[in-house]
Amino acid sequence: MRLLLLTCFFTLSLLWATNPTPQQANEDVETEFVDKTGEALFDPLEGYNRFMTDVNDHFYEYILRPTAQGYAYLVPESARKGLSNAFDNLFFPIRFVNNLLQFKWGNAFEETERFVLNSTMGILGFRDVAGEELHIYAHDEDFGQTLGAYGVGSGFHIVLPIFGPSNARDLVGLAGDYWLNPLTYIEARDANLVDNTTESVAITAFYMVNRTSLHVNEYDSLKKDAIELYPFLRDIYESRRNKLISE
Amino acid sequence: MIKKLLFGIGMMFVCTHSLFALQENDIASSMRSHIDLATSILRNTQLAKQERSGKIFAIFDSVFDYTLMAKLSIGAKQWDTLAPEKQREFTKLFEMRLKNSYMEKLDLYTDEKIVIKNLEKIKDTRIHLTTHLMKNGEVYEIIYKFYKTANANEWMIYDVDILGVSIIQTYRTQFAEILAKEPFERLLERLKEPEPTNTKAPQ
Repeated sequence: MRLLLLTCFFTLSLLWATNPTPQQANEDVETEFVDKTGEALFDPLEGYNRFMTDVNDHFYEYILRPTAQGYAYLVPESARKGLSNAFDNLFFPIRFVNNLLQFKWGNAFEETERFVLNSTMGILGFRDVAGEELHIYAHDEDFGQTLGAYGVGSGFHIVLPIFGPSNARDLVGLAGDYWLNPLTYIEARDANLVDNTTESVAITAFYMVNRTSLHVNEYDSLKKDAIELYPFLRDIYESRRNKLISE
Repeated sequence: MIKKLLFGIGMMFVCTHSLFALQENDIASSMRSHIDLATSILRNTQLAKQERSGKIFAIFDSVFDYTLMAKLSIGAKQWDTLAPEKQREFTKLFEMRLKNSYMEKLDLYTDEKIVIKNLEKIKDTRIHLTTHLMKNGEVYEIIYKFYKTANANEWMIYDVDILGVSIIQTYRTQFAEILAKEPFERLLERLKEPEPTNTKAPQ
C-alpha cells in the first residue's frame, strides 16, 4: 500500500514538475461562446421568421425535394453537374464585380480566366476546364459580402419565402446582385439573356431544382442535427456569412 | 515483490493516463491517422453499420471531451443547477447525438479527400487544427478546437467548426431557446427524437 501511494505521489510530482502552471482551461472555454437569447438577440421578426421557416420546410419536403429526386431519376448526375457548372459560369458577372468592389484584383482576374476558358473550351461552361485542368477555382462573392467587407452590419434576420434565411444587409445585397444576374429580366438593362419575366422565373426554378438534386443528402443530414429548426438555421446562416465575409 | 512492482507500474499509468491522450506535438499526426483509420473503416462495406460506428467511436472517444461539450452546449449556469445524475443523463444523450451526427457526415463524404492544413496555437491552452475536405473541386473547411486539460499535458477537443459554424454554438442557441420556454425534462425528451420537433417528419 505504501509503495502504491508512493508511486502515485511520485508520478503526480513528476507531472507537477513538467507542468508547473496547470491552467484553468475548463473555466474560460465558456467565454468563447456567446449567449444570443432574449433581449441580447435582435430578432424583431421572430414570429414571422418561425412561420416562414415552417413554410419553407414544407415546401422543401413536399415539393422541391420530390421534384428534384424525380428529376435526378431521369437525368444522370454527370448531366446535372454539367448544367450546374453552366449556371455557375453564367453567374460570372456577380462574382467578377463583387471581387472588384472588394479590391480583390487577383481573384477578379482568375474569375475572368475561368469565364473565358470555361465558356469556350468548356463548351458554354458545362465543363469546368479551368478548375479541373488548371486548378483555377471560383471565388464566390456577392453584394451582401461586399457590404459586409465595407463594414455594414448584418441587421435583423429575415427568412425569405423559398430562398430561406437572410438578413437586412444581404437583402440589399440580393437587390444589387439582381442587376448582375443574367437569369433575371430587367427592361431597363441593356442586355437580357431571357425575353421576359416568365422565362426568368422558369429558368430560375429549373436552376433551383437542378442544384437541389445535387445536394439532397447534405440538406437532409443537416436538418437531422437540428432540435429546433429556426434558431438552428439562423445560427448557421449568420455564422457562415460572417465567415465568408472575413475571407 | 514483483507483483507489487508490476502493480505499482500499473498504477503509475493510471495516475498519469496522459500517456494515451494527445500530446501537443502529435495532435496533427494522431488526428491524421485517426481520420484515415475512420475513413477506411467507413469504406469497409463488409462490416455492418453498427460495427463500423463502434470501431470509429473507439478511435475518437479519447480525443473528444464529451462532458465539457455537453456543459458548454447548455451553459455553465444551467449546468450547475442540475443534479449530478441529470448532468450525466444529459451528457449521455448529447454524446449520442453528436456521434450520430458525426457518423452521418462521415458517411456522406467517404469518397472525399481530407487533408490536414494547419495547426495553430491560439494561446497556451488552445490549439486549432484546420482540415480541408475536398469535394468536386470545392473545399470544405473543418476546424477541430483543442484545449489543454487542467491536470496534465493532454489535449482534447471541445468544439468543431464546420465552414465557420461552431457545432457547440448552434446547440447552445437552440438549448437556450428551448429552455426559455420548456422545462429541462422536455429538452431531454427532444434530444431523443431523431427529427426536429417543430417540423413534421416526411411521410
